[in-house]
Amino acid sequence: MTAPVKAALEDLLRARFRVAAAPPLRGEDLRPRPLPSGIPLLDEILGGGFPRGQLSQIVGPASSGRTGVATTLVARATRAGALAAWIDPADCFDPCSASEAGVDGGRLLWLRGGALPRVVSAAHTLAGSGLFDVVVLDLAAVYAECARLPAPTWRRLQRALADQPVALVLLAPGHVAASAGGVALSLGESVARWSGAPGPGRLLRGVGARARAGRFQPRPASFELTA
Amino acid sequence: MLFGALHAAVVPPSPETLLGLAREFTPRAEPRGRDTVLLDLRGLARAWPDPVSLGEALLDAGRAFDPQVALAGSRVAACLLARSLPGLTVVPTGAERGRLAPLPLEALELPPELLALLHRWGLRTLGELAALPADGLFARLGAEGPRLRRQARGEDEVPLVAVPRREEFACALELEWPVDGLEPLAFLLARVLEPLCEALRARGRRAVEVALILRLTDGGTHARTVKPAAPSADPRTWRTLLLLDLEARPPRDAIAAFSLRAEPTPARTVQFSLLDPAQPSPERLAETLARLQEWTEAGRGGSPVLIDTHRPGAFAMGSFAPGAWKGPSAPPAARLCLRAFRPPRVARVSLEDGAPCFVSAAGIRGAVTDRAGPWRASGDWWDAAWSREEWDVAVGGGLFRIYRDRLRGGWFVDGELD
Repeated sequence: MTAPVKAALEDLLRARFRVAAAPPLRGEDLRPRPLPSGIPLLDEILGGGFPRGQLSQIVGPASSGRTGVATTLVARATRAGALAAWIDPADCFDPCSASEAGVDGGRLLWLRGGALPRVVSAAHTLAGSGLFDVVVLDLAAVYAECARLPAPTWRRLQRALADQPVALVLLAPGHVAASAGGVALSLGESVARWSGAPGPGRLLRGVGARARAGRFQPRPASFELTA
Repeated sequence: MLFGALHAAVVPPSPETLLGLAREFTPRAEPRGRDTVLLDLRGLARAWPDPVSLGEALLDAGRAFDPQVALAGSRVAACLLARSLPGLTVVPTGAERGRLAPLPLEALELPPELLALLHRWGLRTLGELAALPADGLFARLGAEGPRLRRQARGEDEVPLVAVPRREEFACALELEWPVDGLEPLAFLLARVLEPLCEALRARGRRAVEVALILRLTDGGTHARTVKPAAPSADPRTWRTLLLLDLEARPPRDAIAAFSLRAEPTPARTVQFSLLDPAQPSPERLAETLARLQEWTEAGRGGSPVLIDTHRPGAFAMGSFAPGAWKGPSAPPAARLCLRAFRPPRVARVSLEDGAPCFVSAAGIRGAVTDRAGPWRASGDWWDAAWSREEWDVAVGGGLFRIYRDRLRGGWFVDGELD
């Protein structure tokens, strides 16, 4: 079957079964399709989502919403039938929050703890396996140790995933690494939304998050994360 | 001549002995008790054109057990004749009933009460039993009556149930000089695994586990068994899994010889769906998880499984085995997630009108600029009781979940909302 005919048939099947945004077809080359974050405003400034085969990063201070953004990305991928991995050297991932955010726990591989060099090695294994659509490497709690990693660490990691349909996302309070084709999403300080006046019965409704994507001409976006 | 029976007058030491003897002639053999084996002899005309020569070959093969052999067109006739008549008995197809007729009723190996009853009816031979009407026998003996009549007439009731040969997939390699280290062993493993996996594939089998026994130069052995998530007959996968396992638990000395034994299982048939996303290859998944055994074996790697409880943060670690996809579904809106502190950080909290106004814990210190709470929860009073009063507080630009343990006292920071 020629490529145009195959593409036309795939489009037809997607339209027929209304799953255009969800699962890719068997044998389809996924690399040109970025992985949508699940937050439409964010996808607009990211150019469709997190690119596959690239090293991307989400950076921001505490409570800026970086974990919420990464969890939404994982939730969207696992709900679409893909596999995701969360590498968590500081053991901070909360399965209850993730489940409330829509993560399918059965399709998530969670690695807890481990020394940073071993954790990077695990990311190398997972990214190179070709099994996962998204691998999140949570460095937020071990950010200070990242400086002690050998200089070519991230370049080697990028080389391992270059041919794979996986989006590797680093989570950190500051810049770590992003490949030339990857995205650097920077989150600013968020604004907490509270319900009602101070006193008993008050709720934390969520936060208003502010993000910028791109290095030279940053594109801003604001979105809400509910609590 | 379709079937043969070999009866050993001298009972062999094990039931497998006669079966092994029968398998020299045909793979379709069924043991009937410890002293008789039934053989499906169809298709042997090229090797033994004459039934008598085939029967003599059987007699010759089993001469250690003083054999009695019968060849007949039906299984039951061959079996009864072999047990009753010495030497070789060959019955042309269609003549079984006539040949069975003079045999005594004792040949059917009936229970003593039933045999006595038939004797009281005046029956002495199979021919006399075979001549009785089936309806009458059914009226007097139930279903057993017609069944005995069919046996006496040499008519088969059940097909031959051949016992399959136990499949052995094993290889061993004696090394000319000892091998120290895993790199040279990798090449040797590949040499042994290739034919082993080829043999598995040729018989439509996959290996569910592979046992590796290394004989060491110090005289000891080092045994490892690898069992991946899914059966495989891919030599590369098995080699990687074995090497990863040996990396984690290396042998204490150089290797002088090794043997491999694969436990076979039928190959699975998978029907792929055109529209569902591709599921991960079980072999590659097993290989990837084996590379991560530092986490998986310590219980620090797998899928999170929520526990049916109200206890905050309760979960268990399950093995990572993604099942079938349930179909597309829209995820909920983006949410703030908790970055849990494990264990919760001990905090010193100052209160103002019963609400936290200052929090001090490892990495967190400052005045509370905003707060929501308190939210009280408790449970598991019948087991390990817990009771807590939760607050969401804004401290120094961050949002944290803090709680007061109402049973043991003291404040803790549960995590950061991010």
